[in-house]
Amino acid sequence: MVLPVVFLLSAAALADEIFLIRLLSFRFWPHFVPLIVSQAMLGFGGAGLAMHLLRRRIEKAPVTFFAWLVLLAAPSFDLAFRASQAVTFDPFLLLWEPSAWIGFGGFFLLLAVPFFLAGGAIAVPFAFRFGEPGPVYAAAFAGSAAGAVLALPVFFLVGTESLLRVPLALAIAAALFVLGVPAGRLYRGRMAVCGASMLLLFLSPAELRLSPYKDLAVARRLPGAKTLASRSGPSGDYRALFAGGIHSAPGLSFRFAGDIPPQAALFFDGEARGVVPENGGKSPPAYLDGFPFVAAYRMVDRPAVLQFGLRGTEGILTAARNGAASVTVVEPAAEFVALVRSDLSGFSAGLPAAMPTEIRTEGPRNFLAREGSRFDLIEVSEISSATYSSLGIHATGETYLLTREGIRSALSRLTEKGVIAFSGWLKTPPRESVKILATLRLELEKDDPVPASQRIIMVRGWGSFAILARRLPFTGEERVRVERFCGQTGFSIVWPPDGPAAEEGAGEKGLRTAVRRVLAGPSGGREGELFDLSPATDDSPYFHRFLRLRSLPEFRRLLGSQWVPFVEWGVVFLLASLAVSLVLASVCLLVPLAVARLPGKAGGIYLAAYFSALGMAYMLIELTFLKIGILLLGDAIRAATVAIGGFAFFSGLGSAVSGRWESEATMKGRVFPGIAFLALAGFLFLSLSARFLLPMGETTRIAVFIASLGPAAFFMGMPFPSGLSRLAGAAAPAIPYAWGINGFFSVAGASLASVGAMWIGFRGTVAIGGILYLAAGGLFPRVGKTPGS
Amino acid sequence: MFLRWPAIFLVLALSAGHSLCAAQEDPYLAARQAMVGDQIRREGISDPRVLQAMLEVPRHLFVPSGVRSRAYDPRPLPIGEGQTISQPYIVGFMTEILRLKPSDRVLEVGTGSGYQAAIASKIAQEVYTVEIFESLAARSRRTLSDLGLRNVHVRQGDGYYGWEEKAPFDAIIVTCAGGHIPPPLLRQLKNGGRMILPVGGPFLTQNLVFIEKSADGSVSQRNVLPVAFVRLLGH
Repeated sequence: MVLPVVFLLSAAALADEIFLIRLLSFRFWPHFVPLIVSQAMLGFGGAGLAMHLLRRRIEKAPVTFFAWLVLLAAPSFDLAFRASQAVTFDPFLLLWEPSAWIGFGGFFLLLAVPFFLAGGAIAVPFAFRFGEPGPVYAAAFAGSAAGAVLALPVFFLVGTESLLRVPLALAIAAALFVLGVPAGRLYRGRMAVCGASMLLLFLSPAELRLSPYKDLAVARRLPGAKTLASRSGPSGDYRALFAGGIHSAPGLSFRFAGDIPPQAALFFDGEARGVVPENGGKSPPAYLDGFPFVAAYRMVDRPAVLQFGLRGTEGILTAARNGAASVTVVEPAAEFVALVRSDLSGFSAGLPAAMPTEIRTEGPRNFLAREGSRFDLIEVSEISSATYSSLGIHATGETYLLTREGIRSALSRLTEKGVIAFSGWLKTPPRESVKILATLRLELEKDDPVPASQRIIMVRGWGSFAILARRLPFTGEERVRVERFCGQTGFSIVWPPDGPAAEEGAGEKGLRTAVRRVLAGPSGGREGELFDLSPATDDSPYFHRFLRLRSLPEFRRLLGSQWVPFVEWGVVFLLASLAVSLVLASVCLLVPLAVARLPGKAGGIYLAAYFSALGMAYMLIELTFLKIGILLLGDAIRAATVAIGGFAFFSGLGSAVSGRWESEATMKGRVFPGIAFLALAGFLFLSLSARFLLPMGETTRIAVFIASLGPAAFFMGMPFPSGLSRLAGAAAPAIPYAWGINGFFSVAGASLASVGAMWIGFRGTVAIGGILYLAAGGLFPRVGKTPGS
Repeated sequence: MFLRWPAIFLVLALSAGHSLCAAQEDPYLAARQAMVGDQIRREGISDPRVLQAMLEVPRHLFVPSGVRSRAYDPRPLPIGEGQTISQPYIVGFMTEILRLKPSDRVLEVGTGSGYQAAIASKIAQEVYTVEIFESLAARSRRTLSDLGLRNVHVRQGDGYYGWEEKAPFDAIIVTCAGGHIPPPLLRQLKNGGRMILPVGGPFLTQNLVFIEKSADGSVSQRNVLPVAFVRLLGH
């Protein structure tokens, strides 16, 4: 009975975790993602702590307690989310209204309830010894793997609002197993709880309440707003909405005096993601000529165009208006492509018939590695958007196309006179624009002595910029073409500096100075700058992370006089969640020691250090593999599914056989060093062979990815049950404490993995995980013994 | 330019003189005076008419009761429908840069709380303001009416198209962030008129763009630096 219950509950908990990531990204922003991982681990850790504190009561009837936890966990997967939607907190007010944190805390704790109950149910068999740690732990891992694998097809089959039905159903299945546990007069109560849980399956799903600041929430409130189409899948929730009040043309020249036709706005997880002009397919609207990046079309005649990211139909229509010979769009989200191409074809009048258009649904780096054709114009649009990227919300997101390796790969796909064009929103002080210039300079000058400054042109509008680059120097005639374009649109040339300048405000001057420094100054000499503008690499692919830790004292000095432009909220949330998890972990370490003393033979501080190291190290390694999986597999959800599923599966196998490996000599001499070696070796293999793997088919890439993580994951499944086995023999009451410590430090590890990836790179982060495992190996003999023994 | 300073001191001195008796009637008077002194004047807003208007208009009446205690803090506040009331400095800055005159007809796009319209109405002859959300339009209409500001006209509608019947305008203030300058608004701006609009996120303004239409109808634009307007506290 125990193993299937643990399996099903683990599957439910992991599916819940993955689906909550989508639901909270939709309701709020993606920076809530680390929060979800933290919530899950907090729930599991809290369950361990609670059991440690209540162990004398639970010891009297552990099986009954187990059954009740399973029964209560089932409805909580649905009810906790419904209740969390009733909690009103305004993420905007969190910035400066201390009382808003109370609502936020309530919201956070409510969503941790299912993890607390499921974690408690899974921990009881370990802690109160009605299951062998190895098999139970294996069932937990196998369930997690199943939950992760199950999540992928569910995204296709079930609408966003209904996703939580799946963990609810899995948990109800688990509950059915415990109905038969003898319980005397409470049997009816159990039946009632189980029946009520089943009824929840038939209730209509909770309507998702979006933050009032989400683009979709604002658009929905516009008079006459109506949803034209919606799709959802692993890559996101996509919706198309029409309202008379939608007039989107970010960065449009103020010289444009015509009208913008009616548009359908597109939303990805509730955030604006381009527009579709009505009937644009018949006649591309004139306003599309009024953006800085159109300068690129003045440099090449009848270009074969490659565009990264589908922006509704605007990118394609712009190419059609400007005489492109063909357009290839690379867009990883198949759901989004279907929405634009099929669902909105009536509204858009299709794509322009005269221009061949191909849309490839794969990751940008996979396409660049595989595709042999060359293009006259490659467009990378909106590397910084007008709204949320300016707040740094995306600072923690991996952007492999904008790394040195990504740009190198894109440059290799240009024809001899081909141009690559980057566009985005200007910030003050400038950031994305300067960072991309620094990257281009390094890559252009890598094998060619001609200064990059002769191969780059930068145009700015009143709010946006376009950077054009190519391998050959631009000719005088080409510069004249750009000047003519700027004359027509009112834009100005920032580089080369002899172009006609607009009226120079301080912002204009600041941009010109920064551009001059990065293109004509010493290469790589940006030490004195407030922001980190050094190029991103595949080992730390965070193009939108500008926060330089050593600038923090300066930011602190500026706090109160200047603010938003210096803050990256994605990083702030990440660091805040790390700080909170470390505080919680410390409390968890100290409270049991103060309130309910550990048995003398548990190992005291060594026990705490051992299980802390395991929790942290596992997350550091698993999440770093997940991050490189985004490069190899093309999108985050696929990478998460394969990485989490793969780690859970192989660790489950390791747990199942851990009993044969748990002698001190084997663990210390083979298992722990083996983990450190295999994790680093597997990661280095993926990292160093990425350019060979990227062109391969998806199945091959997944197989290689799993094969690289599998050996390390297999051994990583052993230290936890082996440690519990030692405790079971020497100090069984300490098991819940160990469970809790492990859970809390897993929370810290989840945040620390992102912090490490951003500031020391992937390889360094995996290495730290390996070192922590080696340290745990040193502590292993002392677990389950007194410090002096 | 130099004559402005005595005027500013006069405004502040007069307001301070009133404060003892007025504070009993208006519990927010001291907070409003502090706002004007610390956030507006000290940060470089020097037009005495703007300072006087910001002293006179009770900002706390334009925010929801739940955040009223923070009405004079140097920050934007939520007002519902995902919209915000701008931080006081932004309001002062946008008003001053338009160089409003008592004879001016002003168009505001994005009424929101109605606070910006109220400030402009203290200086200009007529203020026409358009709000797309019915609930906000109704609430601001009520607030402005309660304050007796008869020269402000609120209309519910899509501000992107301006207010064609009342055009042309001497000045246009766009208080909702957008990604481009609406061509209809440029058409409704008088020759010699000024327009200011924010560009960036919906509640954390990043850039202000100032547009001038010359006597011959040609348009010029310049960006106003964020460091000049995102200042928060009095430094």
